[in-house]
Amino acid sequence: MTLAARIESYRTLVEEWLRGLYHGMITHPAYEKIEKQAEDHEDAFMLACFPDAFGIPSPISYYTAELLPYLEDEFEAWERRMWDRGSLLERKGHQFHF
Amino acid sequence: MRKFVFFGGKGGVGKTTMSSAYAVKCARAGVSTLLVSTDPAHSTRDVFDQSFTDTPQPVEDEPNLDAMEIDPETEVREHLMETKRALGEQVSPAMVNEIDRQIEMAHQTPGAHESALFDRFIDVMRNSAEYDRVVFDTSPTGGTLRLLSLPEYLDGWIQRLLHKRKQSVKLFERAAIGNNEPRRMMEGDPIIARLEQRRDDFNFAKETLQDEAAFFLVVNPDELSIRETKRAVEQLDSYGLDVRGLAVNRLTPEPDPDEQGRGATFLRDRVNTEQERLRELRDDLTPPLVAAIETRVAEVKGDFLGEVADEIEVGVELSTN
Repeated sequence: MTLAARIESYRTLVEEWLRGLYHGMITHPAYEKIEKQAEDHEDAFMLACFPDAFGIPSPISYYTAELLPYLEDEFEAWERRMWDRGSLLERKGHQFHF
Repeated sequence: MRKFVFFGGKGGVGKTTMSSAYAVKCARAGVSTLLVSTDPAHSTRDVFDQSFTDTPQPVEDEPNLDAMEIDPETEVREHLMETKRALGEQVSPAMVNEIDRQIEMAHQTPGAHESALFDRFIDVMRNSAEYDRVVFDTSPTGGTLRLLSLPEYLDGWIQRLLHKRKQSVKLFERAAIGNNEPRRMMEGDPIIARLEQRRDDFNFAKETLQDEAAFFLVVNPDELSIRETKRAVEQLDSYGLDVRGLAVNRLTPEPDPDEQGRGATFLRDRVNTEQERLRELRDDLTPPLVAAIETRVAEVKGDFLGEVADEIEVGVELSTN
């Protein structure tokens, strides 16, 4: 292997590592945060749609009921998140990688 | 008179009589008319001695008149079935039970009947092109008022839901790394589409009720009925709806002056208090009195209907304001 080729392969390796590091340390957590935020918004949406799941009567549950067939994944995920969640703090705490 | 005419008022004051009589009056004047009863007790069938369903049917002997009766119970059941059908098509069997419970629950909430009725209202108003006049005989005041306040109220709620949904979908789109497919997409989202459809319905109802509908309140000359009417007028006004007049029903007939018996004295006393209350109505309320109908000995139907119709001073000719 010529010197040029060895330098070249070394550079690709370093580049890959750098990209990986950047992704792992910066981008990925950021995307995760955005996703968490999106989930939080979705939770609020679901709660506004189906407060009667928690025994709070809603004047529009008649209308939101017709959304349910299209909310399968959301509904399941929402219920799961609601069970998981000890407190608001706990969920917010997930966003930081200690 | 506007295209959509609503008769409302306390239970038992004679809304059905008034609305039927007015519908007959319109029909006999050559205006093609649809009479819609939304009172679950449905007395239209007693007035015309004929049974109706929830699709318009011609009334016998009245060539320009069709009538229909809306049953909220049936509407709720149909909505439930429809939602469940969609559920069966969309959702995996494992989740069906979970969601099914939620749907059943939603159809038993106190607002379900009103919502169902309201949907039907929108439906009737949208598909009424073949009629020149639609007369609504509504259920007792409380229900009707809540029904008419729905668009205002629900619109805000739907807007909020729509906003929240859009926010979360937008974030999900942003969270999709590189070429990954986002978990939710704005384009073709059935939830957003549904909510927007609802929002449009509510807007349509709001505009139609404000711009193309006229309201009449039926009153009896008694304290309770008058007080309730006052409240109703205030509320309808606050929703921006156009209260065109009050129709007083069940006035006591005055005895001839030469009659002096116990019955005549009683009647005369009653007539006096009723006149007092009519004055109160005229002075305290802005909508004018458009009809003063005396108590009939027999049920108002058949020939009587025509007589009552003649006494209602509400125009039949079409105009937009």
